[in-house]
Amino acid sequence: MDPITFSIIRHRLFRVIDEAVITLKHVSGSAITNEGHDLMVSLYRADGSLLMGGVGFLHHLTSAAEACKAVIRRFEGDIGEGDVFLTNCPYTAALHTSDIYLVAPIHHEGRLVAWSACFVHVYDIGAMVPGGFSPDSRDIFTEGFSSPGIKLVEGGEMRRDVMDTLLNMVRAPEMVALDLSSMIAANNVARERMGALIEKYGADAVDEACGALVDQSETLLRKRLRELPDGRWEARQYFDIEGETCRVLLAMTKEGDELTFDFTGSSPQSHYGINCTYWASWGGFFAPLFPLLCYDITWNDGVLRPIRMIAPEGSVVNCTRPAPVSLATVGTIQSVNNAACTCIAKMLSASEKYAEEATAVWHGSHFAIFMFGLNQRRQEAIGILTETFGGAGGARTWADGIDVGGEIPNPIGRMANVETTEATFPVRYLFRRARPDTGGPGRWRGGNALEFALVQHDSPEGGINYVVSGKGTEFSMSEGLGGGYAGAPCAYRWVHNNRASEAGRNVNPFPTSLDEMTGEAETISWGVFPLKGEDALYVRSDGGGGFGDPLEREPARVQADVEAGMVSAEVAAAVYGVVMANGTVDEGATAARRETLRAARLAAPVAAAAE
Amino acid sequence: MSGKRISATLVVNEDRAIACAACGHTLGPAGAPWKDHARLDEQPMQGAGGNPYTNAERVLLRRFFCPGCGALLDTESALADDPFLTDIVRV
Amino acid sequence: MSERSGTRYVVATDVGGTCTDAVLFAAGEPVRLGKALSTPPDFADGVLAAVGTAADDIGLATDALLARTALFMHGSTVVDNTLFTRSGARTGLITTEGFEDTLVITRGAYGRWAGLTEDGIKHPVATDRAPPLVPRAKTRGVPERVDYKGAVLRALDEDAVRQAIRSLVEDEEIEALAVSFLWSFYNASHEQRVGDLIREVAPDVYVTLSSEIAPVPGEYERASTTVINAYAGRIASDYITSLQALLRGRGYGGPLLVMQGYGGLLPAEEAAERAVGMLECGPAAGVIGSRHLGRLMEDDDIIACDMGGTTFKVGVIQGGAIDYAREPMVDRYHYVAPKIEVVSIGAGGGSIVALDPATGVPGVGPASAGARPGPVCYGLGGAEPTLTDVMLLVGYMDPGTFLGGTIALDAEAARRVFVEKVAQPLGMSVEEAAIGIYRIAAAQITDLIHEITVERGLDPRDFVLHAFGGTCGLLCGVFGAELGVRRIVVPYTASVNAAFGLLSADIVHEYTVTKTLPMPSPAAEINEIYAPMVARARDQLAAEGFADDAIALDWSIDLRYGRQVHEVTTPVAGGGPMDDDAVGRLAADFEALYERKFGKGSAYRAAGMEMTMFRLTARGMVERPRIERAALDGSDPGAAQIGKRDIFVEAEGGFAPADIYDFERLSPGNVIAGPAVIHTPITTIVVQAGQSGRMDAYRNISIELG
Repeated sequence: MDPITFSIIRHRLFRVIDEAVITLKHVSGSAITNEGHDLMVSLYRADGSLLMGGVGFLHHLTSAAEACKAVIRRFEGDIGEGDVFLTNCPYTAALHTSDIYLVAPIHHEGRLVAWSACFVHVYDIGAMVPGGFSPDSRDIFTEGFSSPGIKLVEGGEMRRDVMDTLLNMVRAPEMVALDLSSMIAANNVARERMGALIEKYGADAVDEACGALVDQSETLLRKRLRELPDGRWEARQYFDIEGETCRVLLAMTKEGDELTFDFTGSSPQSHYGINCTYWASWGGFFAPLFPLLCYDITWNDGVLRPIRMIAPEGSVVNCTRPAPVSLATVGTIQSVNNAACTCIAKMLSASEKYAEEATAVWHGSHFAIFMFGLNQRRQEAIGILTETFGGAGGARTWADGIDVGGEIPNPIGRMANVETTEATFPVRYLFRRARPDTGGPGRWRGGNALEFALVQHDSPEGGINYVVSGKGTEFSMSEGLGGGYAGAPCAYRWVHNNRASEAGRNVNPFPTSLDEMTGEAETISWGVFPLKGEDALYVRSDGGGGFGDPLEREPARVQADVEAGMVSAEVAAAVYGVVMANGTVDEGATAARRETLRAARLAAPVAAAAE
Repeated sequence: MSGKRISATLVVNEDRAIACAACGHTLGPAGAPWKDHARLDEQPMQGAGGNPYTNAERVLLRRFFCPGCGALLDTESALADDPFLTDIVRV
Repeated sequence: MSERSGTRYVVATDVGGTCTDAVLFAAGEPVRLGKALSTPPDFADGVLAAVGTAADDIGLATDALLARTALFMHGSTVVDNTLFTRSGARTGLITTEGFEDTLVITRGAYGRWAGLTEDGIKHPVATDRAPPLVPRAKTRGVPERVDYKGAVLRALDEDAVRQAIRSLVEDEEIEALAVSFLWSFYNASHEQRVGDLIREVAPDVYVTLSSEIAPVPGEYERASTTVINAYAGRIASDYITSLQALLRGRGYGGPLLVMQGYGGLLPAEEAAERAVGMLECGPAAGVIGSRHLGRLMEDDDIIACDMGGTTFKVGVIQGGAIDYAREPMVDRYHYVAPKIEVVSIGAGGGSIVALDPATGVPGVGPASAGARPGPVCYGLGGAEPTLTDVMLLVGYMDPGTFLGGTIALDAEAARRVFVEKVAQPLGMSVEEAAIGIYRIAAAQITDLIHEITVERGLDPRDFVLHAFGGTCGLLCGVFGAELGVRRIVVPYTASVNAAFGLLSADIVHEYTVTKTLPMPSPAAEINEIYAPMVARARDQLAAEGFADDAIALDWSIDLRYGRQVHEVTTPVAGGGPMDDDAVGRLAADFEALYERKFGKGSAYRAAGMEMTMFRLTARGMVERPRIERAALDGSDPGAAQIGKRDIFVEAEGGFAPADIYDFERLSPGNVIAGPAVIHTPITTIVVQAGQSGRMDAYRNISIELG
């Protein structure tokens, strides 16, 4: 294939996805899709393998490929032009039931030539808790509607019976209907545009270009892997759910041009819905792998070919049906992301050429607060607080992590304005800011996390409910790199102002920090809670991991952080060994302080003895 | 320090030993676990990076230092009974 | 000369990043064009130079021309330039306590990825925010709080405000202050009070209030807009004031009208207070100019393209209406101000042609050789092959006639570099490779135009394509044909697009009130919202000297479906005040617009509709002479043919002989059959095989696609 035609077809395939994404956003019109970019549209080849992944929630690129393949297996001989299939079974392909895949075959002159697939997190799926995140579910059966594959549209016609059955099982069916029509519209656009591409260049040329594109990605990734040293790198992630401590252990081995992700030793599956199915874990490490190793390579099946996964059956990374999974996307999958990020980063930093591509972990816990109840206009209001997309950047080997800078697996998320949320939910923010001292210390500092607090405001029911799916409240999930510290863990506090009020204590209606809040602050991390009366919810997300030795950080940068209020003077002295006097670095005292800290290090025991 | 890079802080020197990239102090042979040779400070994660490191009495921040110059070579967060993470780079 | 003494000229000047353009004309005279290099930071020199070149054309000295000028219209990149070069004021921000980080954390990752290309977005480790225009240390939170209804929950702490102002002025030495509180667009009283206190405590400080510059929801974008205005405010106002003084000194006695990004003009005094309004006003003027040209030619649906040295820009006019950008940015900073939607890619004549180091796949841009060193063929030291070099290799440019023969092009050097860096590595002949690169550029442009037409439910086949800029005429025959547009027009004023647009712009004031009303609501309630805006608009335009019959008031209302995020600005047909029937029509119009914009099936009525913003556009129609039509000659262009040579012809898939014409010798009415090349003093127009180009009565080349 000549490089010019190849270049044009490749570019056009990008545009096909882009157009479909815009269509999906336009039709959906929902905040999570439009603000959070919690969506994905990708193209797949006739056999269901990934042809081109779009920039969306990257966990889904590979899982949607499995969705296509599952549909191909299940419906062989019954896949017609204009059909659209629905799959949301986590044991088939999906991450959890709320993330519905709609996959659609693309035909040319009667022949199946490709697939398009997309996902959104639907408004509701009929699980125990509105919105789908169900901390109290103990099995998949209480996590709502789940289908391993069903034909929703046949030959361009909606199957009303199927649609009505589905909508009969969910809350706010009109919103779910809208989510589904947005995905149908996106698939339609993808099909039309692919059709136009094939019209112009011919089916054979397009197919040849697609094959070449997949091969090219494989060749480029293998070449990159060969440039990196062989080795085996380990990462460990902990998370705490209601007194259970789970571990995700990863040993990543690179040999020649192949990479193996081995999760042997990870905890048995949990009673709580934080588990990952096999395909969720598979997608979970590809999500950071695409942007960290393949930032200049097309994201497709060629990237998958040199990669292997070992995930023990019955573990948190490969749970056995009917284990619950509704919180997988904010649960184990994040640990899989983080562990993979750490191992890939360690491998990159072992290479002169690629050291600058390494990063400490971003937004490790991916805290999520899900709200449901009536809003100030007495409408049903279900939805995630978009602060979940706020994130915190991990430090790079050449730059600080970005304060409230997002995450790797969803490269273009963003959070809503305070004014948007206050207009949507019956709440008032007390404050929302970057929290100093949350970014992991290091020669390059991890990005600081977000902290915010809410009270109910003008609620017709005196309040609203929220779901906390907190892991990362005890363990720092954003690990550091090359000596950098992990970022600070998350914190959730239910501030009992109601009780303080009843006890006759004055409640400060405008506190600007947790310290200024009057009521008793109860630490919470898991379950469904009310936000009622004068009570407040305080949330602090976790900071990004740091890189390198904090004693190597240039004192001027520490001073700039102190001036900007991003690092306290206490941490500057205690961790960075930088002593401030009248707002500037006291160089003499800093040198002395750093010398003292180094001396203490040399007085520490040898590790072999400690172990 | 010359040698082949194996991490952000370590190299393998001409004698096929793992060495601190800052001072050259060696930490055992190439291709073997090196952490046992480092100096180790283990402290609770609680407060380790400042006030927001809360609720973490159980969790340890392990810091591995170069015995030669005190450079911080690597960190881990860990529960007390869990082993060191082992990274092996073959160069 | 004497018969000209009574002539009154209209002069328009546009300061762009590279060139300053001038257009002038008077009743009964042809349009004259002038061009000079821009002269930052003293842009006025370039303005006078450009006017001078146009004045030369009629044999007048600049001062003499200015003395006979009735209207002077001006657009400038000065505010964009201030942002790009970070040369604004030391600026502080006063905001609601507890929300001091709103500006610097940019809604999370948004400020990190917004404005990046797909390649940048896919590489998050390499991304960063732009440094904030106001660092955190120059931000002060003060106690106050208003809620989502506009109710004051917490009174403004004036002592804290005074203290904040003093500390910013004394400790941080700020020169400008932005004030942006939560929900201030519903209740501006706190911001206004802070404004008073600043004028009292620190009268020298330049102040911008968010409730005045951007009274719209969304605290991050509103604060960002306010900060940009404060940051560039004094520079913009000094610029306008000094230009006005300079023109006065050179004999000009009329008003100075300044172009805004929304496509209207403001009197100098008012423009001086709204720096943010001047952002991207050049491209906006281009779209306005296209609309005007369309009206002359009776075309309502236009794709307006402009391709110069570094970028290709495109805007869309549908049914005579112009679309506004939803999330505009300058550099990498967000702002909210009505701004005509113009999208762009880094593809221009200077764009560098290179092979991807990893894959060997060829691409065009976005890196550019700019004007210096420029394309290899300019012989100014350019060592990388550019799109202009490719144009030479496909036979479209004539080494001898470029820029009227003032620069001899080095075709040999262009060929040598192209062979070495592109053709040889690709294993192709020079011709094959050059044709391939040409097609890639055309495909990129087609895709971009797709983005703002097809992706918004518009069919390019319903549109006429306007090809402005020095490079557009070389490519429009190919991408226009692929899009299937109705017709292509290469305007006579192609090279001075923005300045030409200024000529046709009116004085436009924009007013908005943010308020949520259910749809339908009684018309009386809507009229009540408009009454104060209408009164203010009439007073303002009257003060600017407009009689009642020269004033037009356009009402438009933003609507959305319940629980949906997409708002659509819907014009109130027939204007205001409204009756209840008009409210019903508005709802129907909104639904039709929504489906057109977001696609069939996107309308979602189940949760009802609501009105969220009420806009008034008040226009003072500027009186200007009509542009004259020339008499039409016969269709035979023979007298203008200057040769024949082989060029790349898309329909042939290779090179074929083509007729070559001199634009200056063509007469209105002449028709040229493709394949053909028309050389103008500034640009080149290629008519592809099967197409025919006709010079119309305004000397535009109108290409029928056959």
